[in-house]
Amino acid sequence: MSTPSEPGTDEGAPDTQRLQLTLFVSGASPRSVQAVRRLRDLCDRHAASGYDLEIVDIYQQPEDVLARGVLAVPTLIKELPLPVQVLIGDFTDEPRVLATLGLSPAETADG
Amino acid sequence: MTNTDVEDLGERPRVQLPKSPTGIDGFDEITDGGLPTGRPTLVCGPAGAGKSLFALHFLVNGVNRYGDPGVLLTFEQDRADVVADVSSLGFDLDGLERDGQLLVDALTLEPQVVDTGDFDLEALMVRLAFSVKKVGAKRVAIDNVEALFATFSQPSLIRSELRRLFRWLKNQGLTTVITAERGDNLLTRHGIEEYLSDCVVVLDDRVVQDVATRRLRVVKYRGSTHGRNEYPFLIGPDGLEVLPITSLGLNQEVSHERVSTGVAGLDEMLGGHGVFQGSAVLVSGTSGTGKTTIAARFADAACRRGEKVLFFSFEESSSEIYRNMASVGLDMAGWVQQGLLRFHCERPTTRGLEDHLATMQALIREFVPTLVVIDPVSSLARGATAFDVSAMLMRQVYYLKASGITAVMTVLNGEAGVEQAIVRISSLVDTSLEVVMLTAFGERNRGVYVLKSRGMAHSNQVREFLLSDTGVDVVPVVIGAEGVLTGSARIAAQSAERAASEGLSRESERLATALEHRRESVDAHVDTLRADFAAEEQLTRQLIEASEQQQQAVQRDRLAQGLRRTVIPPEDVP
Repeated sequence: MSTPSEPGTDEGAPDTQRLQLTLFVSGASPRSVQAVRRLRDLCDRHAASGYDLEIVDIYQQPEDVLARGVLAVPTLIKELPLPVQVLIGDFTDEPRVLATLGLSPAETADG
Repeated sequence: MTNTDVEDLGERPRVQLPKSPTGIDGFDEITDGGLPTGRPTLVCGPAGAGKSLFALHFLVNGVNRYGDPGVLLTFEQDRADVVADVSSLGFDLDGLERDGQLLVDALTLEPQVVDTGDFDLEALMVRLAFSVKKVGAKRVAIDNVEALFATFSQPSLIRSELRRLFRWLKNQGLTTVITAERGDNLLTRHGIEEYLSDCVVVLDDRVVQDVATRRLRVVKYRGSTHGRNEYPFLIGPDGLEVLPITSLGLNQEVSHERVSTGVAGLDEMLGGHGVFQGSAVLVSGTSGTGKTTIAARFADAACRRGEKVLFFSFEESSSEIYRNMASVGLDMAGWVQQGLLRFHCERPTTRGLEDHLATMQALIREFVPTLVVIDPVSSLARGATAFDVSAMLMRQVYYLKASGITAVMTVLNGEAGVEQAIVRISSLVDTSLEVVMLTAFGERNRGVYVLKSRGMAHSNQVREFLLSDTGVDVVPVVIGAEGVLTGSARIAAQSAERAASEGLSRESERLATALEHRRESVDAHVDTLRADFAAEEQLTRQLIEASEQQQQAVQRDRLAQGLRRTVIPPEDVP
């Protein structure tokens, strides 16, 4: 989907500030579909510096599941900026997701 | 191992529950073959009870001995730690993984996982399925599910997910060990035993009278008989070992060689040659009867033969033993200096029984003695149940016998529970000596007798056991009119006997002399008679001769007279 990056904010922020996310979902289950939609929506609204989202289907890529120590779905790993954070759940607790990803609701006002 | 192990017994078909052996010494005996094949088994217990080790034994033995590939899913440690922890037990997890026989999936769960909403553990099942498929696993161990409850904040969700997982494992026909922490009133903290009803094993590390002892109990085993007792188990140099008495084999080679007890009189009581090399000798007696001294004599005799002796002392320090044995003429310190004797002195209460056993076996392996003294085994019994002690002793005696090491164990009689323990091991003991106190005539004297001694003629007598500064000896007692005599009474009786025998020998000497005299006199008499006879003979012969001459003369006269009376022609007359 879209990766919005406003020219103004892009200049000031180094590349490391750009969110890099990996999301593990279980195929096309309703919960997974819902989680993907919610996350994208949330990032679209709040990640002013832009974001990269990689979606891993645990059934398709079990090696990655093993390598990353994933047990639950959905699991979201915030790879960058550091520190690495792990989020479990379908993102219904939006304030918590934003806080953990280092996004502030204030950034919405900028857009 | 296999799911198809079905035994058909004709008319009454009976399905033998297929079982997968764990390879854990003793456990497979209690469970009559191991864990239920294709089903999950719950192993629960407090932290440090040996749950992880149990799971690893089950997996590694599965690969090494039974050809079952396995998967370990652990939340407890990272991979390097798991590998390092069991390498000392000889488990080469890296090697097994390289061979594609085992897969270690170790993940340390992040405690700071952020919960943002609903989730499930589908990824856990995916990764397990992937691992199982990769190595073709038949055995799985999950260690320990409690970590899941610690990481994820919704216990009811985790419980239902685990239930789903267990069902999946069962459907896949995987023989699984699942470990969990023990709860306060429940078997597990989060009650997952509800979902694991096939087989439940509880491990425990309990402190009884300040001594920790590990125990294992099979709480439940659906469709199978199993030992229902609590069994002591130990984590030794070779890992986990459960100690049921039935697991002792009876196939060791025996020696026909005899070794001296170090006391000539005792050797004599044991058919003249002492005990068998590699046999188990029990020296029992009440306090102060000289049990340690007998054990020390055994040790001394072995050292004199140039053999090595390991002396476990649970009541005295080595310096106390040096001093006390010097008083009966034994130089224990000297043997220690020569490297033939080693002491291991430790309070029995410092550690649990299984620790003692493990230490003893490690020292024996290191020092390689031909004789081991355990003085006294009975002090190990304090604070433990008779069952623990006898199981441990049986294990120890069996180990020593299998290694061909002579074992001399002393037992202090009269300690509560000990006799029961000793009775249980008596079947393993070859030679049993008992030292008793004989009280009579205002004295207490030591007596020793052979309670039993397998495979050799042995004395049925109680003999007196003498301790003096020159040494130790066993002398025959005197049976007098008053019974068995020891001490001064024996000495008095012996001297009376000696005096009596002296009297007897004087009498016989006298008789011999008298006989000699008589012989001489008879001889003299015979000589006289012979001389008389000779004289008589000569006289008689002279008389006979004279008589014959007289007869001839008479005949001549008679002829002459006849001539005169007969008428004869004159011409015939000469």
